[in-house]
Amino acid sequence: MSENKLTQTDATLNPPTTDLVNIKINGVAVKVPKGENIIESARRVGVDIPYFCYHPRLSKGDAANCRMCLIEVASTAPDGSVRKMPKPQAACTMPASEGLVVETETPAIIKDRKGILEFLLINHPLDCPVCDRGGECPLQNNTLFYGPPTSRFIEEKRHYPKSYPLSEHVVFDRERCIQCARCTRFTEDISGDSQLGFLKRGADIEVGSFASTAYQSKFSGNVIELCPVGALLSRNYRFKARPWDLLTQKSICTQCSNGCNIKYDYRVDKIQRVNARLNEDVNEEWTCDRGKFGHDYISADSRLREPLVKRGGKWHPISWTEAYALVAEKFKAAGSNVAGIGGANATNEDNFAFQKFFRETLKSSNIDHRLGAYQGPGAGPIFSRLGYHTTGTTIAELESAKTIFLLGTELADEQPILFLRVRKAARFKGAAIVNALDRAVADTTSASDFADVDLLYRPGTEVALLNGVLNVLFSKELVAAQDGLDFSGLQSAVAEWTPEKAAAETGVSAESIVRAAELLARGSVAVIAGKTVTEHAYYTDIAAVLANLVIAVGSPAGLNIPVTDFNAQGAADMGVLPDYGPGYTPVASAGLNTRGILQAAASGSLGALWIVGAELLEQYADTKLAESALENCQFIVMNALSLTPTASMADLILPVASAAEKDGTVTSCERRIQRIYRAFDISGNVKPDWLVFTEVAELLGGGAPYVSARDIWRDIAQTIPTHSSITLKSLGESGIRWQYAHPAPKPTVAAAPYKAPAAAGTSRA
Amino acid sequence: MAIMNLLFANREVPGIENIAVYEAHGGYQGLRKAVSLDRQAVIDEVKSSGLRGRGGAGFPTWIKWNGLPKNYDKPHYVICNADEGEPGTYKDRELLLKLAHTLVEGMAIAGYATCSTQGYVYIRGEYVEPAWQLRKAIDQAYKAGYLGKNILGIEGFNFDLNIHMGAGSYECGEESALMSSLMGERGNPRLKFPHAPLPTVEGVWKSPTLINNVETYCAATWILANGAEKYSALGTERSKGTKIISVSGHIRRPSNYEVEMGTPLLELIDAAGGVVGGSLKAVIPGGSSVQIVPAEKLAGINLDYESCFANGTLLGSGGFMAFNDRTDIVLLMKRTSEFYAHESCGKCTPCREGTRWLYRILDRITSGGGQEGDIELLLSVCANIDGRSYCGLGDAAAWPIVGAIKAFREEFEYWIKYKKSPVGSHAVPPSPDPVNPLLRLSAVNR
Repeated sequence: MSENKLTQTDATLNPPTTDLVNIKINGVAVKVPKGENIIESARRVGVDIPYFCYHPRLSKGDAANCRMCLIEVASTAPDGSVRKMPKPQAACTMPASEGLVVETETPAIIKDRKGILEFLLINHPLDCPVCDRGGECPLQNNTLFYGPPTSRFIEEKRHYPKSYPLSEHVVFDRERCIQCARCTRFTEDISGDSQLGFLKRGADIEVGSFASTAYQSKFSGNVIELCPVGALLSRNYRFKARPWDLLTQKSICTQCSNGCNIKYDYRVDKIQRVNARLNEDVNEEWTCDRGKFGHDYISADSRLREPLVKRGGKWHPISWTEAYALVAEKFKAAGSNVAGIGGANATNEDNFAFQKFFRETLKSSNIDHRLGAYQGPGAGPIFSRLGYHTTGTTIAELESAKTIFLLGTELADEQPILFLRVRKAARFKGAAIVNALDRAVADTTSASDFADVDLLYRPGTEVALLNGVLNVLFSKELVAAQDGLDFSGLQSAVAEWTPEKAAAETGVSAESIVRAAELLARGSVAVIAGKTVTEHAYYTDIAAVLANLVIAVGSPAGLNIPVTDFNAQGAADMGVLPDYGPGYTPVASAGLNTRGILQAAASGSLGALWIVGAELLEQYADTKLAESALENCQFIVMNALSLTPTASMADLILPVASAAEKDGTVTSCERRIQRIYRAFDISGNVKPDWLVFTEVAELLGGGAPYVSARDIWRDIAQTIPTHSSITLKSLGESGIRWQYAHPAPKPTVAAAPYKAPAAAGTSRA
Repeated sequence: MAIMNLLFANREVPGIENIAVYEAHGGYQGLRKAVSLDRQAVIDEVKSSGLRGRGGAGFPTWIKWNGLPKNYDKPHYVICNADEGEPGTYKDRELLLKLAHTLVEGMAIAGYATCSTQGYVYIRGEYVEPAWQLRKAIDQAYKAGYLGKNILGIEGFNFDLNIHMGAGSYECGEESALMSSLMGERGNPRLKFPHAPLPTVEGVWKSPTLINNVETYCAATWILANGAEKYSALGTERSKGTKIISVSGHIRRPSNYEVEMGTPLLELIDAAGGVVGGSLKAVIPGGSSVQIVPAEKLAGINLDYESCFANGTLLGSGGFMAFNDRTDIVLLMKRTSEFYAHESCGKCTPCREGTRWLYRILDRITSGGGQEGDIELLLSVCANIDGRSYCGLGDAAAWPIVGAIKAFREEFEYWIKYKKSPVGSHAVPPSPDPVNPLLRLSAVNR
């Protein structure tokens, strides 16, 4: 659909079917799906076929080049006679068909493998002792098991300078490269930036970028893991460790809300590298560069290792006992005139303890984790219409959408893993992509490369644009009648928004609006709205029209306005909201939202403020207000990892554990609850946030005596009905997406008002 | 049996490259005949002529023509492979220079038979003049109504012909690499049957594609104009018609000779005036990719697919090279291997690494560094390439060396033992400039 697929991609090349065919592998008869490649079929019967270039997630068009997976193939004629193919065939692209007879261990194949490995090694530098890959290298492993013991090559090897800086993160050792085309296919098939390709030819062939410019990608780190030799190397990790010296702990990436499964590889208390961990439902096996290279902060020297108190404008280390005494004194004095901000970067357990401490011990509901412009009701603007708070589609479900509508988002930055799924849907599954973007922010996004239609609208005209699309849907009768739904009100409300009028208002051409509507009418729509929308002054109105749109096209579960911060979803679920407790139970009297808290602090009326890791100066939309609040608040205690600008304006800093130093659960933007695990301690003197709240609560007389994060999870499961059936054990390797207990509400349509943007065009908050 | 000019019947006619002269000599009668027939009847005509692909593989042409799906739910493409890169072969060059209208006519016939509306002629980048001649022929054909819309007044018979110039890669003459290159991708070979559908089902732009050699289309023109019976009356039982052989080497009158299939090989040498500079030592009958045949084995070989194959070589594309007895076979193989190392696209391991290794070994031997065991090493490397590479280029790089060692092993042994040429002053000069500076890097380093 969306791009001219010239490469032989796996979507169209021998697509796997549900028909089973009978094949024989090394004499073992087995039924496999028709069209499946023989490497996968052989795995079913426990036969290992070595390979380098094959990768199940990459297109087959440029595979079969390493020739390591050669097998002998014969076909069975209907009369039972077996005809052997004269040449050995590559297993990675050989489709299974009825009567195929495969031999993988014949003397000829064993000799072929030796030949291929000898070829691969004649120009390989064999500098394994100083290679990062040594010990986890497919070339080493295959040579050990299938290779010749010696080489007959006495000519001089091909030589290049050892390190070629491919990008900010990736260093390329051309001598080690075996030209398997995994990295080039990754940029073509997965990340979509097509930054890497082959230059020159024959034995001079080398991977490179166009005109040797920097390899610019938001996903470049993946090629390091994909590389079957030590040719693509991480600039951070290079020469840092031997793989067998590293300890590994499972975790979840903290850099955004997508919940990518990762592994920390560390020595003692230093993270050496971050690798992706397979989760088919979330990140498959990819990471973005922010995730792969953004965890240095955990092992940074700037981490705080003891509580600090500000006396006379200077920081003095104090003991936890003294720190707790100070907090208790200040919070006791302030009574319920206290507030807490933050939690978006803490675990569910931390957040639960945080809100419980405020609501039960301090009797205050002045807590909020939100730092964005939207500070309205905590349930968000779409819950009442659609029955979910943020996302209706899972990450994996994006693949099966027929049309994906992106609104106001540079998805590759905001939700990198959602971006990869959208790209996969477009490239391999035939999804159409409608990419609407605020042209004041950018006139192109990463999705523009493969979008079917780009809608560049004037800032503030989102509602007009969506109404225009709705108008076309109705006027062209692309909206199917739905049981019990009356669209007449909506239809007449958008009747004035002809494509021409919408075009005049938004600056998008009328043809593009019509085209977008036609694509959206294909059904099975997923909408992803991004930060440009959520930070908008008219966010509530836009959300209402988006709800209209997904209902009109018959995909009421297709709207996604995902959160962006690490565990912002979990913080909301746990009730770090002024108006909702755990599980979105409304509280009797709502407290102050972030803006209210900061205003109170700025006026000097707030007794004490507890900041849980929230970088107000950097993240809060109104920096002036944040600054004045931090200056004028009577007492500020902050849980922090290091002395950030916000922390340095506090009165007391409590050093807390990072994600690598504590157990717990986090909830990703698609409501998937996943576990993180303690890998190491940087110091015996840092504590997880939940322990801080538990200990202070005890000091103030109250609170549950939690001794572990597991304790808190039990409490969460008892408190929140939607989490009641989830145990830490049941989360397993891939986590569980918590489900709403109530049935989806009957969709309702409601027209939203359109407020023209201010003449200056800057309508954003 | 000997020289028999069918396609070349008019090659000496002055001005034959102009449409008026061409028409006066029976031009475009084949196309007129074709459109008077049913599409399937055209294909049947090609079938009964027994025409086989002239690019080198000898695949029955009608199977390709008949293989395009007949439900016509996708556009069909007709492609001509004019990326004539095989060393020793220059027949398409002459066809394009003088008889470009025959090709245009043949492709229009194929377009009619397969219901295609677009044709592409992929010409190697070095063939500038032939491309100009074809350009002129296409322009004239458009004006005369043999290309374009409603050709010859037949409603719905539309056929456009485009020229695409290659960029100098030998590999792009391989049909799947040609398709990659035509679509703007790197000129790498693509997956083939059974790994991927045949080009006739999914070729360029995932559409059914017919791809034939220049000579094949020209032969189709002749067959339609003169009848399949006349064509199939020529040649042997399985190799019908004529074949254009590009004769070069130590021969008195190197030129293109059109011979009837099955002509004895030695007859062609006589027709070309015999060997110069010495007595005949060996012949490569089908382009540098096929195995060399020593003079004493030539008597039994006829120029047809079966006879060549039975004698351990191939008719290939007809790049006939004769060598006299002052030819150093080892140096010849070194030059041949240098060509393949330079032209390997680098996609697959055996060809990328193996072709370079072969060249390096031969370079070492002919620089006086030969060692005992080098011949076995060459054969072993050839065996590891042959049949293991992604496309046929690897095979084509290995075969000549295996053939040369088989026929002239003592020359290799002589080089290794005495570090000098067994033929004294040799007739194959070293290449004037290194084809690729990096290829010679080793020599500099040493």
